[in-house]
Amino acid sequence: MIQSDIIKILLVVILSPILGCLLAGLDRKITAHLQGRVGPPILQPYYDFRKLLAKENFVSNRFQNLYILAYFIFILASLLMLVFEMDLLMIVFVFTFANIALIIGGMSTGSPYSKIGSQRETMAMLAYEPILVFYIVGMFMLTGSFTISKLNSFKLPLIAYLPLIFVCMLYIMLVKFKKSPFDFASSHHAHQELVKGIMTEFSGPTMAIIELSHWYETVFLLGLMFIFWKQNIFIGVIISIITYLFVIIVDNISARLYWKWFLKYTWSVAVVVSIANILVLYIYKIKLS
Amino acid sequence: MNNLILLLIVVPLIFAILFTLSNNKTFYKIISYALCLFGTTVSIMLAYHGTGNIKISGTAFSIVEGIIIICELLIILFLFYVSIKNKRWGVLTLTAISTVLSVYTTFFIGKSETSIINVDSLSIVMALIVNIVGTLIVVFANGYMTEYEHHRGMKSKQKLFYAVICVFLAAMNGLIFSDSLSWMYFFWEITTLASFILIAYNADAEALNSGFRALFINIIGGISFIGGIIIFKTSMNIDSFSGILAHGRVSSFAIIPVFLLCIAGFAKSAQVPFQSWLLGAMVAPTPVSALLHSSTMVKAGVFLIIKLSPAFAGTSLGTAIAVYGAFTFVLCSAMAVSQSNAKRVLAYSTIANLGLIICSAGIGTGVAIAAAITLLIFHAVSKALLFLCTGQIEHTIGSRDIEDMFGLIHKAPALTLITAFGIISMILPPFGVLVTKWISIEASATNPLVVIFLVLGSALTTIYYIKWLGTMLSFPSVNLKPEKTIKRPFSVYLVLSILSVIVLAISIFITPIYNNLVAPEIKSLAIKSKDSLSAVFGDVSSKSGTFNNSLVFIALGILIVLSLIVWKVLVSKTQVKSIYMCGENNSPDNDKNMFRSGNDSLVESNISNYYLKDIFNEKALSTLGYVVSISIILVVLIGGLL
Repeated sequence: MIQSDIIKILLVVILSPILGCLLAGLDRKITAHLQGRVGPPILQPYYDFRKLLAKENFVSNRFQNLYILAYFIFILASLLMLVFEMDLLMIVFVFTFANIALIIGGMSTGSPYSKIGSQRETMAMLAYEPILVFYIVGMFMLTGSFTISKLNSFKLPLIAYLPLIFVCMLYIMLVKFKKSPFDFASSHHAHQELVKGIMTEFSGPTMAIIELSHWYETVFLLGLMFIFWKQNIFIGVIISIITYLFVIIVDNISARLYWKWFLKYTWSVAVVVSIANILVLYIYKIKLS
Repeated sequence: MNNLILLLIVVPLIFAILFTLSNNKTFYKIISYALCLFGTTVSIMLAYHGTGNIKISGTAFSIVEGIIIICELLIILFLFYVSIKNKRWGVLTLTAISTVLSVYTTFFIGKSETSIINVDSLSIVMALIVNIVGTLIVVFANGYMTEYEHHRGMKSKQKLFYAVICVFLAAMNGLIFSDSLSWMYFFWEITTLASFILIAYNADAEALNSGFRALFINIIGGISFIGGIIIFKTSMNIDSFSGILAHGRVSSFAIIPVFLLCIAGFAKSAQVPFQSWLLGAMVAPTPVSALLHSSTMVKAGVFLIIKLSPAFAGTSLGTAIAVYGAFTFVLCSAMAVSQSNAKRVLAYSTIANLGLIICSAGIGTGVAIAAAITLLIFHAVSKALLFLCTGQIEHTIGSRDIEDMFGLIHKAPALTLITAFGIISMILPPFGVLVTKWISIEASATNPLVVIFLVLGSALTTIYYIKWLGTMLSFPSVNLKPEKTIKRPFSVYLVLSILSVIVLAISIFITPIYNNLVAPEIKSLAIKSKDSLSAVFGDVSSKSGTFNNSLVFIALGILIVLSLIVWKVLVSKTQVKSIYMCGENNSPDNDKNMFRSGNDSLVESNISNYYLKDIFNEKALSTLGYVVSISIILVVLIGGLL
């Protein structure tokens, strides 16, 4: 039992960054094709990572790297908890820990760009967190449990009963993947008005750790989408792939929006739509069978 | 055990007298340390001793009743005196009404000849909070008050200050052990009076206004309380909590007295629409705010409501209370987002958390009651810490505005780190407040309206605390060198450190605390509810999920160990560079972020936090709060009468 757990942990720790790295490479390739370029090799994110590790580590606040370490460890912890199918609400709280560590890390550098980026990221968090939790509440209403493993005993997938919440989750994936139109806090390329937003003052090995955490985070987020059709691994993976493709395509066809727009429409449309989904479940007393 | 309870009530009164004996600051210091030592020891001994009942009858009973009547008379006379002297006719009218009602209950309603002192787990929890956190605040006041009075050029009234706080603590101790409703009402009135004196401490117009507002609202609560006592006694012959517990779930007409008692609790806990007194209470010196907000006054209100939960659990009244509490939670969290005054942020956060406790009590299942009591514990300690920190920050930088705390880590590293820890303990795992938030969301998930409010509220909570945290920690710097001019009074920092240790300890030892102090109470309060919570090795689980807090602690442990291993690389001094300003690092001595403007002058970049004042407008939201909360209260009252 314990042995198999350790193997599982090792597999997650080793395989998910590889997967995340490949997905990031794929992203760049697809984006390049959409823009009529050839694009970098698919392993380019890995080459970047290796190069970053070899660079010098410059900081503006001596303690800023501590926050990034916290960010990394808690992203990893939330991914592991997800793989071990624990309580989803707890997982989201642990995930929040990681995000807050990154935000405070950005703030701590004292750079005006980072500070604005961090501020915007908190506003993004204010917008997407309720939807994440509504997704979990919807799962509880259907299964009577917050634990992911409980889903295995049901035949029908969550997506059949949470279609509206699924759409909202797709929408907030755009901000979680830091993609256009919601890359106002920090984008993957330092080409926006905030330089690189939260990450402006991070460089070298620390930046490499941030990239590594992003790869884990990619797998974690796609894992959240996978749960929508967890019972069938094949379809679950397809849902994750569709999510990722959706994010890449929207990234390429849209321009950045102002954070206020995001906050306003998430609370007035997406949150309301999620609540509607939950109320339908409650009123008709729908349960998974 | 008799002796311990007697000690807890009488000894603080003796301390109150001791404080009035001298003007000597060193004497105050010795006395307050002694008080803290006494409170901690006796309350821990009581907790160790466990639960029990003491029956009071015969002469002892008559003596206590006699003392209560005399003291009530004195309180009433004092209230008449201050309200006439300051021409507060509203307070005077309310005092008159409550006097009539008190006289009526004292002389015209048949009374039982015995009463019990009920030491259950909840009162032990409260005793620990009041006597440890409360007395630590008194020690803090030692290093704080002289400076405070000096700042304001006041004549020293510390005699009065300490004496009233001691009376306050004694009254709280009496309140939590009373089984008889009328005894509890007596102590309830003493806390009202004591809080009035403490809020009006500065004796300027603002302080007097706030003091009288607090008095006004709390007398409304008091009238509601005594109304509840009268109806309970006359219609059902119930005059004690054990009677309510034995009676169990109430129906139809009996809703009214329970709800009247709940309104008393709402007023004391500053729930919307009664919130204005707690916001006004911030004019008082910091130890007073800390005392009112964390360990004493407001906790009395939720204590009463948790005690009443067997009466309304599972009824529509319970659901109404849950919705009401959840509504307060989300509303006050939203208002806190728009505040830049740290004390106001904390005040709204207190009201919000009390709303969450009331909401959980309203749901009334075993898991929900567990959430209510654990949140009561964790909130008391963390909030006391945060309030005291804010007070000390105000003395350090001369402001309590969050924007002014920019780069505080550079000026006062120790204080900032303690404050940061306090904030983290309010919003992040593995600390208790978040675990209880998890429990309440899971417990409320069967009621969509409540869970929607809780989810939105908890998202807002995170936001207003991160802003504060980020601002304090933000500074591009090589070294943490505290400014030499900053005074660091020993007793202030001692108390802050002790409170931090307590915050950490109760989060680590959540299992024994839950199993020994909370679980027995749930058994007696929520007998009918089948579901309950269990805690093993820091993991809290109900039938719908498990919070593996031990794993979060392990992650945190790995973080600490790892950062210690790579500490040298992680925080190396040599690679500190000035920040990236798009090539415009213009500041002459590199300590400011400056851009060059069109006419070649230097302009400092200044980034403030987002407060979203247009969205979360305090005024508009307060109005909304009044309308909704008053309608909920009226609907329940009218529904109960019909």
